[in-house]
Amino acid sequence: MISAAALRARVGAFTLEDISFDVPRGAYGVVIGPTGSGKTTLLEVISGLLPQTGGRLTLNGRDATREPADARGVGLVYQLGFLFPHLSVEQNVMYGATDAAFANTIARRFGVDALYARSVRSLSGGERQLVALARALARRPELLLLDEPFSALDPSRRAAARREVRAIHREWGLTTLHVTHDFAEAGSLGDVAVLLDAGRVLQSGEPADVFRHPKTPYVAEFLGAENVFAGGVTIADGAAVFHSGPLAIHVAGAAAPGPCHAIIRAEEILVARVSPAPSSARNQFEGRVTEIASVGPLWRVTIDVDGAALVAALTTYSAGELSLRIGDTVFFTFKATAVHLC
Amino acid sequence: MRRSNAIAVGAAAASSLLLLFLVLPVVRLVAAAGPQGAARLWSDAELRQSLALTALTATAATLLGALGGAPLAWLLARRAFRGRALVAAVLDLPLLIPHPVAGIALLLLLGRGSAIGGSLLSLGLRIVGTPLGIIAAMLFVSAPLFVSGAREAFSRVDVRLEGVARTLGDSPWRAFRRVTLPLAARGLIASGVVTWARAVSEFGAIVILAYNPKVVSVLAYDRFTGFGLSEALPVAAALVVLSLIPLTALRALRMGEEPAVA
Repeated sequence: MISAAALRARVGAFTLEDISFDVPRGAYGVVIGPTGSGKTTLLEVISGLLPQTGGRLTLNGRDATREPADARGVGLVYQLGFLFPHLSVEQNVMYGATDAAFANTIARRFGVDALYARSVRSLSGGERQLVALARALARRPELLLLDEPFSALDPSRRAAARREVRAIHREWGLTTLHVTHDFAEAGSLGDVAVLLDAGRVLQSGEPADVFRHPKTPYVAEFLGAENVFAGGVTIADGAAVFHSGPLAIHVAGAAAPGPCHAIIRAEEILVARVSPAPSSARNQFEGRVTEIASVGPLWRVTIDVDGAALVAALTTYSAGELSLRIGDTVFFTFKATAVHLC
Repeated sequence: MRRSNAIAVGAAAASSLLLLFLVLPVVRLVAAAGPQGAARLWSDAELRQSLALTALTATAATLLGALGGAPLAWLLARRAFRGRALVAAVLDLPLLIPHPVAGIALLLLLGRGSAIGGSLLSLGLRIVGTPLGIIAAMLFVSAPLFVSGAREAFSRVDVRLEGVARTLGDSPWRAFRRVTLPLAARGLIASGVVTWARAVSEFGAIVILAYNPKVVSVLAYDRFTGFGLSEALPVAAALVVLSLIPLTALRALRMGEEPAVA
């Protein structure tokens, strides 16, 4: 278990301020944040390599605020590996191990035993990350801290390494905190997501909840929500409607009247060539396609509705079937429950 | 293209002139007196004793410099403390002041009339005019070089390597011994070699603090003033040869140098 309460730390001019979150025992926590947000600094504070200037840190139930790094039982894996260059790969793996047979088993799980004879300096970036993972796990730590540990691996090895880390996490009940700026990785790996920016926690909780219900428009935009509108809610005939410029959007639940932001994920918007038949989707609009862009397996279609722009995400197959072109008139719908107010 | 060639030719010409100025006197000296100096090693007992004294006192000064200098270098490289800039400036001082002035300053501090010198004398330790005085003079002028080099050597070891070792169960001292020290070793040895070379070549401070017993630099000066150039030449050539030992060691060390991060 990792529990940070109002944690503070300073590195030069950079500060971590009031960091609070909980990763329950045996859970997989993911720290998401842009470059320079303090993700690595946070891991270094938790591992005891950087001193706290305030707050309280609890690791597996004991107060670790003043505990030295070597007594915390934490395995730390840096993005760059930081293998000891004066030692062989095998010596690196065995560095903190108390049981050589166990360390060899871990090395085998990551395919690192095949590298034992190699010089550390001859390893690729991905191989270094695998050796660093094996080295940290060979000690059988109580907690595992990972700083973008798969970033230098090719896609197939990344998937294999991710599976192996996840399997060890489950087998050992190993509480893990994993830093990444890859939202897909965060969503697929984490039980708890901690969103960090400029040394502060913006939001933390279950990844699905953080992604679907961002607390602020900034968090929503940070997490990649394209449709964030400023406006206000009014109540008419008992139904809540969010108004933003030309848009009148039906929202679900007991929304309080007053100014707020509405967030609609692009994946929630359905696009059609013809006016859709009446359905349970409360929000139906007509607009004109102003931009079409391919983003990986998806197409982002920007639709203008009387001056307001909405973005819909379509699969390549759907986009092909609709044969959309810039200037086309389209109809799009989304449910009131797809609208998140904050 | 033509212009850049002209610049390169000009730079090469200027460099060659400087290199010739640096190398020619030494080559001329060794060519003129090298064989004679080597022959003198058999016949000139004072020269032999002087060479041994120089090597021994320089080694002692280097070891003392390393003993006190390595912790100071580590502190300067790893810890931000109040007065760090002042300490760094103090370390530059012996390198900046003329060495005879350094000798006079040491004489004032360690001479029999001073409090420290008097106390040491009462303990049976005479500094002025003894090998201890030579070591003190050598230490004063050469130790800052060790600290500077060792600081650089420690700085080149990424602090995150030590951090990883700490998370793998090492105490601070154990992480230093298993990670920092091996990775900084080459730089520390190189700093020791430079320190030793500087100690061997010292004259100004030694001649004030301990004219006798004579180290090689003082002996060369003594022979020159007492017997002329011909008598000084073999001694000077022997000193040059002695100085080539650390120079060669340093080159060998730097050939295998690699950054301490992986």
